[in-house]
Amino acid sequence: MATKKFGIVLDAKKCLNCKACTVACKFENTIHPGEDDYRIWVTELELKGTYPNISQEYQPSQCQHCENTPCASVCPTKATYKSPEGVVLIDYDKCILCKACMTACPYDARYENVHLHAIDKCTFCYQRQPEGREPACVETCPTRVRVFGDLNDPESEASKLLARNHTYQLKPERNTRPRLHYIK
Amino acid sequence: MAAHTENHGKSFLKSLIVNNKDIPAMPFIILGLILCAVGGFAVISVFVKGHHEAYGVTRQVPWGLLISSYAYFVIISTGIAFIGGLGHAFGYEKYAKISKRIVVLATIVLLAGFTQILMEIGNPLRMVYMMISPNFKAPIFWMGMFYGIELVILAFELYLIFKPNQTEADHKLAAVAGFLALLVGVLATSNLGYVFGSLNAREWYHGIYFSTFLVVSGVTAGAALLILVHTIVYKGSLPAELKPSMVSLGKLMGGGIGVMMFLYLWKMLSSIFTEPGDAYMSVMSLINGPLSFNFWIGEMLLAVILPLALIVTAKGSIKKLSMAGFIFLIGLFFTRFDFVVAGQLPPMRKGLAGSGVITDVAGFAFYSPSMLEWLVYMFGFGVFFLLYFSAEKFLNLETESHH
Amino acid sequence: MKLSRRKFLAASGGAFAAAVAAANLTSLKAVAESGHGDAQTGEKGEKHIASSCEMCVNKCGFYAHVVNGRIKKLNPNPRFFKSRAMLCARGNAGAEEPYNPERLKTPLVRDGERGSNKWRKISYEEAFQIVAQKLAEAKTKYENRSSVAFFSSEGLQEGSFQMLAQTYGSLNTVRHPSLCLSSTIQGWSSVYGVYPDADLANAMFVVMPGANRAEALVTPDSMDFLRYRPKGQQLVVLDPRFTNTAAKADKWYPVKPATDMAFMLAMINVIINEELYNKDFVANMTEGFDELKAHVQQYTPEWAEKECEIPADEIKWCAREFAKYAPRSVIYPGRRTSWYVDDVAFRRACAIIPALCGCWDVPGGIVPKSGVPLKNPDIMYPFYDMVEERLDVESFGEFDNNLPDDARKEAGLPTDSVAYLGEKDGSWIRFREAVLRGEPYPVKMMMVYKQNFVEAAPNRAKTLKMMEMMDFICMIDIQMSDTAFYADLVIPESTYLERWDVVHSLAGIWPIATFRQACIEPVYQTKSMFEITGGIVDEMLKIPELWDDTDEEELEYFKEDFVEAILHAPIQDYIKYQVSGFENGYEKLLKDGVIYKTDQGVYGQSAKPGYRFKTRSGKIELTNVKYPDKGLDALPVYRRARQPKDGQFRFILGRHGWNTHTGTQNNEFLWEIQKENTLWINSKEALKLGIKNGDRVVVKSSVGEQTVKAEVTEKIRPDCVFYAHGFGRVSKGMSLVYQKGASQAAILEDYIEPISGNAAMHETFVTVSKA
Ligand SMILES: Nc1nc2c(c(=O)[nH]1)N[C@H]1C(S)=C(S)[C@@H](COP(=O)(O)OP(=O)(O)OC[C@H]3O[C@@H](n4cnc5c(=O)[nH]c(N)nc54)[C@H](O)[C@@H]3O)O[C@H]1N2
Ligand SMILES: Nc1nc2c(c(=O)[nH]1)N[C@H]1C(S)=C(S)[C@@H](COP(=O)(O)OP(=O)(O)OC[C@H]3O[C@@H](n4cnc5c(=O)[nH]c(N)nc54)[C@H](O)[C@@H]3O)O[C@H]1N2
Ligand code: SF4
Ligand code: SF4
Ligand code: SF4
Ligand code: SF4
Ligand code: SF4
Ligand SMILES: [Mo]
Repeated sequence: MATKKFGIVLDAKKCLNCKACTVACKFENTIHPGEDDYRIWVTELELKGTYPNISQEYQPSQCQHCENTPCASVCPTKATYKSPEGVVLIDYDKCILCKACMTACPYDARYENVHLHAIDKCTFCYQRQPEGREPACVETCPTRVRVFGDLNDPESEASKLLARNHTYQLKPERNTRPRLHYIK
Repeated sequence: MAAHTENHGKSFLKSLIVNNKDIPAMPFIILGLILCAVGGFAVISVFVKGHHEAYGVTRQVPWGLLISSYAYFVIISTGIAFIGGLGHAFGYEKYAKISKRIVVLATIVLLAGFTQILMEIGNPLRMVYMMISPNFKAPIFWMGMFYGIELVILAFELYLIFKPNQTEADHKLAAVAGFLALLVGVLATSNLGYVFGSLNAREWYHGIYFSTFLVVSGVTAGAALLILVHTIVYKGSLPAELKPSMVSLGKLMGGGIGVMMFLYLWKMLSSIFTEPGDAYMSVMSLINGPLSFNFWIGEMLLAVILPLALIVTAKGSIKKLSMAGFIFLIGLFFTRFDFVVAGQLPPMRKGLAGSGVITDVAGFAFYSPSMLEWLVYMFGFGVFFLLYFSAEKFLNLETESHH
Repeated sequence: MKLSRRKFLAASGGAFAAAVAAANLTSLKAVAESGHGDAQTGEKGEKHIASSCEMCVNKCGFYAHVVNGRIKKLNPNPRFFKSRAMLCARGNAGAEEPYNPERLKTPLVRDGERGSNKWRKISYEEAFQIVAQKLAEAKTKYENRSSVAFFSSEGLQEGSFQMLAQTYGSLNTVRHPSLCLSSTIQGWSSVYGVYPDADLANAMFVVMPGANRAEALVTPDSMDFLRYRPKGQQLVVLDPRFTNTAAKADKWYPVKPATDMAFMLAMINVIINEELYNKDFVANMTEGFDELKAHVQQYTPEWAEKECEIPADEIKWCAREFAKYAPRSVIYPGRRTSWYVDDVAFRRACAIIPALCGCWDVPGGIVPKSGVPLKNPDIMYPFYDMVEERLDVESFGEFDNNLPDDARKEAGLPTDSVAYLGEKDGSWIRFREAVLRGEPYPVKMMMVYKQNFVEAAPNRAKTLKMMEMMDFICMIDIQMSDTAFYADLVIPESTYLERWDVVHSLAGIWPIATFRQACIEPVYQTKSMFEITGGIVDEMLKIPELWDDTDEEELEYFKEDFVEAILHAPIQDYIKYQVSGFENGYEKLLKDGVIYKTDQGVYGQSAKPGYRFKTRSGKIELTNVKYPDKGLDALPVYRRARQPKDGQFRFILGRHGWNTHTGTQNNEFLWEIQKENTLWINSKEALKLGIKNGDRVVVKSSVGEQTVKAEVTEKIRPDCVFYAHGFGRVSKGMSLVYQKGASQAAILEDYIEPISGNAAMHETFVTVSKA
């Protein structure tokens, strides 16, 4: 069996900016309220046009689980590492809080979790993997903006979506090869 | 056995202590004590409140004043060690004459720098994992290594310098150590540049520029501090034999500033022409953004124009040189601060609603150091003043000629 | 006056008792052993408990993930197909409710002036005694049980509160619909006899006049309109604001407020005149086509364009597309329709269009709601002498009915009464008016359950004045709402995660039934409304004066069949009885949190020939048959609405996805998404007024003013302004939003839609100036 490669395919055009995903993440991962304390965000992109010819889109995002991983390469203690499925994770016990990874991440995906005394970020809800459950942000979304799955399995819904649609990644110029694919 | 070592130690220590009454150290020691007390209070507050509460750094600008103060100190230290290496290892006579002071100064400035990084790193105790599970790709790992080794070398040099009954072998060892200190110092500083240069997200730091710039500005600062310290210690009237050393240091400093200007020019131009990239934004933050005061007054006026003007017009006036050194060291603070902060002001996401990112109208992230950050910085100075001037007061830092 | 009443108590009550006894033995034990009765402290381990959300009306299904006796997270229940296996931001944030530091923890009795925020903690027993005592006082003093008003909003425990109201015998129950949807119910029912749903999951052409499914979440519509949107479906949104729904629409018409009816009438005009309607359907199923045809001749698209500012060609296009895709075309019925004084007429116009095109009770059309059959015990309450008819009914003709001056004289609207008053719901604004006048009799005491009318009813100053007139106000809430803040006694209810709630059928195209079970033990030993009612009724029974105007025998039956059999039994018995028609219904509920007869959409029940609609004629009434009896227009007549004068804006309301009304803003997880509201003002208008983004501005109406930050935007028409509900609060017990931002209730004028009694909340004009 080929190794798994987790990723998320997003159809941001379906996003309602309802923030269900951001709140779900907070509870699933015990993240307290606070300005800088979040693993996931939904940006209101600039309104285009002037009244009455206007349009607006939203951009939900989180850690991109970069294949080429800027945050891991600068981490002096290997606190940041990759799981076999390519999920970028943090061993909180090893984190010295030097914040090099925060400064290195082109997506501003990381923050200092004061309760864990370590750097924190999206883990694709790795704790749910043993039970085979989808990440909290994926599961709770009213319009199913995100589809999570094994991109190495051509039969997964995510792979199919990826194959069927034109997609793009955020900041390709950073050469990070994100595992979040946005449908055009 | 134990008694013997103890006795030996005691007599060794005793032999070291001298009371140099004529050195104006006391005001600086008192200043150091005050700064240590105030800074110590800050250190305790930081432990009570936690870094997150105590510091002004944010998610967008995770590295702030303490990284720049750390860089400020440790790069001066390696700059001094560089100069020492020139004297010790390459027999550069003019610097060899002040080699004792050089080693002591480099060590103490390095320790002052370490106070800053220890207060910056959230979990210093976990640094054992740098040994247990090191990441050889990570520049911070090497930073730890290099500065750690630098400290060991300096400690060894100290031992050799203060060792009674020095032998010829000791001198040779000292030369080797001096060379190593120079080498590791250069590695450490250029690697520090790479600590920033390796940050994929931050275009401003990319390339060889900062590694070079940091080494050059470090040596320049080392020269500046050495001139300043000598002027203080000798109350403005240097022994004739040290004058040439100072003049030479002045030239070194002037040359350093010249190279710095040269580097500035190309860094600025190359960044401006990467518009609309992040490096461009960083330059703009300096030229007419939130850091423009720092840049024009601090980096340009205090760290470049004034000292250069003083050096050029010094014509052997140690007073002017020391004035240049003093102003440069103040300006250098802005240089370090801007270097650290400018690279992080372009946010990784636009400051739009919901993005979690807050920016000003020009699109820059915010950072201003908290009071506690300033006080921790002062703590670094406190440690420096206290230790160094105690050393001046209680140790003999005159270098006896050994050639 | 003695109200008559049938006497067959024994039968119904007895049946309930017997059914419970049969169902009890095994499962009740199971309940006692599993969780509910367990020790609350030191609980170890993880569990997942099925229940349903109460952060808004939708009641979406979830599994509570409970770790060591504490709720960690609420996860969507995949079997709960009404909510399409989602939980919104509020649904997720619900996990915080039991632990919210400012939630109510113990009953509080006022210990200072009203609104001084001085309270004394008391026990539930004491609170029950106080309520019973006060109820008795009101009865003896005013010799009229209706002098106590019972205010409430929907919820699975609202029934328990109604049990208390009925036990006491007041006819003055005032529910939320007349602040919400009673006009759309009335409007659609006047055509079809029922208030139906729109099948967004199958419709190909959707016209949504001022409903905001992307933000005002209604399940399953909010999911269906995007997630399950059929390929090729066209969505047309009419809204003066560029809502998220408008952003997803194929067409957004920034309709001039209060003119949607012109658009609908012109659509009818085109559909009829171009003969696009379904002739068979109209002939077989409807009543009054010819009158309608004649009536709409005046409403040409060209005429409508001048009214609603939507181009005539667009209206024609809409009419033709609608007919083209029929029967898979819908006009969305809408939900919060407390808009204008002619809202019922407008909704009638909407309802007529699908009827013309035969979009009725078929996939993709307008479909009557189906329910899940539940058994509910028929409780017989004692009958009392000292009861007067509803205040808002009795006050007919006593005074004008809150129409704006220039609308009052228009024909076709009743001017002295609410034509079709909800028997149990009443008309909130009219009720308040009557209380303020003390006519025809005084109302001096309020029992309030889960309704925060200080902020939910327009004209806050008037509401506070009404409260000042009260001898006693008791509020049952979970937090110190603004209404609780001005009450005399505040009784905390357990949050929905800590209690058992009875089963409700969630009617719709995909009907399901759900309930609540306690996911955790009450964190502060609070009680459910069921237990609170039980406690109060027990205390009431100890006061003889409360029962001297009823029949002794009836009272005995009541004690036996209701107090003993229902209130004194565990609520689980009630639940079991409700689902006793389902095999293992109760066990299924415990496990899945939901029961249903089918997971398929239910269509076609009323599309059969010969089906009798619940209208007077038994047909779909294009022309209403009974309205003329009350002097009402049989057909929707367009009357130009009042418009703001120069320098004024119309103040309109609307929801957003992150909060529910006034109930959730003090939850930190939602508060951090939106910390205060902002005034949407069109950028051109803002420029004229010199207002910049973020400036503080004063918004002033004839009844109040508020200060709020301006949000200068392209997303709203120039003639209206908007800010969100739930901010600028008066309760100090909601510290996150206390005096943060601006209150709607403070500036809304209190007009009324006189056919349904619904509030007309978009009739307020305001001025905006820099603070
Ligand atoms: N200005 C303005 N007014 C409006 C509206 C508007 O948009 N703007 N909308 C209208 C509409 S559509 C409606 S439906 C109504 C709604 O009006 P209300 O039904 O009054 O709804 P809320 O304002 O949310 O207040 C609900 C109260 O119930 C409490 N509560 C929540 N859960 C529980 C519980 O489990 N038990 C108990 N006992 N209490 C609980 C909350 O704390 C809160 O105080 O408002 C109407 N009024
Ligand atoms: N997130 C969230 N979801 C909710 C609720 C909540 O509080 N929060 N509440 C629930 C309840 S009780 C209800 S009743 C429903 C309400 O659901 P909706 O009825 O969809 O509620 P509103 O947001 O009030 O929608 C009214 C819309 O009409 C627009 N409008 C105003 N005036 C006019 C006009 O003259 N013409 C037209 N065409 N449009 C106009 C407003 O701009 C607004 O966007 O939502 C339910 N769902
Ligand atoms: S839950 Fe889905 S629709 Fe809501 S904000 Fe997140 S991605 Fe967008
Ligand atoms: S998005 Fe940032 S945190 Fe995530 S893997 Fe990439 S660099 Fe690391
Ligand atoms: S902050 Fe922690 S996770 Fe990030 S680089 Fe440093 S040690 Fe690694
Ligand atoms: S995958 Fe899990 S951790 Fe990552 S953003 Fe979604 S909910 Fe949060
Ligand atoms: S829509 Fe949201 S708040 Fe309303 S019941 Fe569903 S999950 Fe709860
Ligand atoms: Mo509502």
